[in-house]
Amino acid sequence: MSSTDGAPRRVVVTGLGAICAIGASASETWAAARDGRPGIAPHLFDPGPTGPAAHTTPTALVEGDIVGGLEAALGRRVGASLDLFSVFALKSCHEALDEAGLIGSGLLERAAVVLGHGFAGIHTLEQSYERFYGQKLTKVHPLTVPRVMVSAPVSAVAMEFGIRGPVFAVSSACSSSGHAIAQGAALIVAGGADIAVVGGSEAIATPACLRAWEGLQAMSPTTCRPFSEGRDGMVIGEGGGAMVLETLDNANARGAPILAELCGVGLSSDAFHWTQPSLEGAVSAMSAALDQAGAREAGQILISTHGTGTPLNDKNEAAAIHAVFGHRAKNHPVIATKSAHGHLIGAASAVQGVIGLMALNEGLAPPILNWLGPDAECDLDLVLGEARAIDAEALLLNAFAFGGLNTCLLFRRWT
Amino acid sequence: MATLDDELLDLISQEALIDRAKLTREATLSDIGLDSVDVVSVVFAVEEKYEVEIAEDAFKDTANLGQFLDILEAVIEKPKS
Repeated sequence: MSSTDGAPRRVVVTGLGAICAIGASASETWAAARDGRPGIAPHLFDPGPTGPAAHTTPTALVEGDIVGGLEAALGRRVGASLDLFSVFALKSCHEALDEAGLIGSGLLERAAVVLGHGFAGIHTLEQSYERFYGQKLTKVHPLTVPRVMVSAPVSAVAMEFGIRGPVFAVSSACSSSGHAIAQGAALIVAGGADIAVVGGSEAIATPACLRAWEGLQAMSPTTCRPFSEGRDGMVIGEGGGAMVLETLDNANARGAPILAELCGVGLSSDAFHWTQPSLEGAVSAMSAALDQAGAREAGQILISTHGTGTPLNDKNEAAAIHAVFGHRAKNHPVIATKSAHGHLIGAASAVQGVIGLMALNEGLAPPILNWLGPDAECDLDLVLGEARAIDAEALLLNAFAFGGLNTCLLFRRWT
Repeated sequence: MATLDDELLDLISQEALIDRAKLTREATLSDIGLDSVDVVSVVFAVEEKYEVEIAEDAFKDTANLGQFLDILEAVIEKPKS
C-alpha cells in the first residue's frame, strides 16, 4: 500500500507515555533517567499465611496510588475489572494519546492498538490460586478470566478511547513491546490503519512469580550493573510504555508535533537456546534495522541496549555491536537504562523507547547506573557517571528475549 | 453510623463503578446499568466482606435495587448456625 502519490507510507511518532519505578509519566521517567535516579531497591514479598516465609529481593516497583492516578486522569473509575498489567497499559496509552492530541479528536475510529506482554494477569492468577489451593475456596473473583487474558490491556484501551480498527496483543518475552511497535508500524505501512497505539506493559512482581525468576539463576541478588565488571544478573521491574505511531501525511494534515520517524525494523530468532543469546541472532536483527533505515554509516547513533546486567547478555550484545559497526563501534554512545528502572520484560522496549526518543530530542544520553569498572568483553562507549551531551541522529533500540526472539528498531530524530 | 443499606450501596457503587447518587431503592437494575457481570462482582464482594454464601439464582426475579438489597440483607442478617 502507498499514499496517494505512490510513495511508501512513512511512520512517525507523535505521542509518548510511560510509567515505571522511576516515574509516573514519560517526562518524569525521562527526567529520572537523565539525572541518574535509581528505581531499584530491596522489597519484601510476603506470600501470606498459606505460603512459605516472606523474602526480600531487589526489584524496581511503581510506587503510589496508580489506580487513583489513572482514575483522576480518565475522569472516571476503573475498578475491579483490571489486573495491574492492564492498569499500567491504560495509564501509558492514555498519556501517549493525550500528548498526541488524539483523545476526543474523532480520529481513533480506524486506529489500531498493538501491545506486548511477556506474562498476563500474574497478580490476579496468584491471588486466585492462593484462594483455590491455599485457602481451599472454590469461588475465585468472577472477573478472573477477563483480568488474566493477554489481550485484556488492548481491549481496555480500545474500550476506553473508542478504537475500532485492528486491536490485538503480541508476546515474545522480553521483546514483546518491540514486536508490538513493529506490528503497529507494519499495519500502518500496509494501509490497515493510519494511527496505531503501540507499546506494552508488565506486572509480575509477586511472591511466587519472583521465585520462578530466581530459579533461572539469572537474577541479581544486589542490583543491575549493565556492562560492568562484577555484574551478576537482572532485576525485575514493572510498568508500561506507549507510543502513538501514525503516517507522516496524517501527522502533517492535523498539525501534530513529530517526535521521530521509525525508519528501520529488524526482527530475528536465534532458534538456539532458552536463556543463552546468540551472536548471529543479535547481529541479524541490528543489521536489518540499520540497513532498512540506510543508517549503517550514520555519524552517531544512540544505542539503547537490551543491557540486562546478566554476564551472558551484555557480553553477547557488546560483541554484536562490534560485529555490526566494525571499527566505528565506539562512535556510538551506549545506554542501559534497566540499571535505573529494572527489566520491564514485555514493556522493556516501550519504556526504553520512550526514554531513548526523549534523549535523542534533548541531545542528552542518560547514564548507566551501578557500574563498578570496565569489563574487557564489554568495550563500548558507555555513558557513565552523569548525562552526556550527544549529537546522535538516530536511536537504535535493542531487545533480545529469552527463547531467542530479537527486535531492533531504528528511529531517526525529526528535524 | 452507616446502615447496612448504606454499606451495601457503597459497595455496589465501588464494584460496579456506578455513581453513588444514582443508587436508590426505587431504581431498577437496568436504570442504573447494573448488568449481570456487575451482579456477580457485587455478590463476590458481599460474600467476602460478610463471610456469607449467596445462591446463584437468588436474583432471578429481582426488578429493582430495593429487592436486590433485601435479598442480600436477608442472607447477611441470618443468624449463623
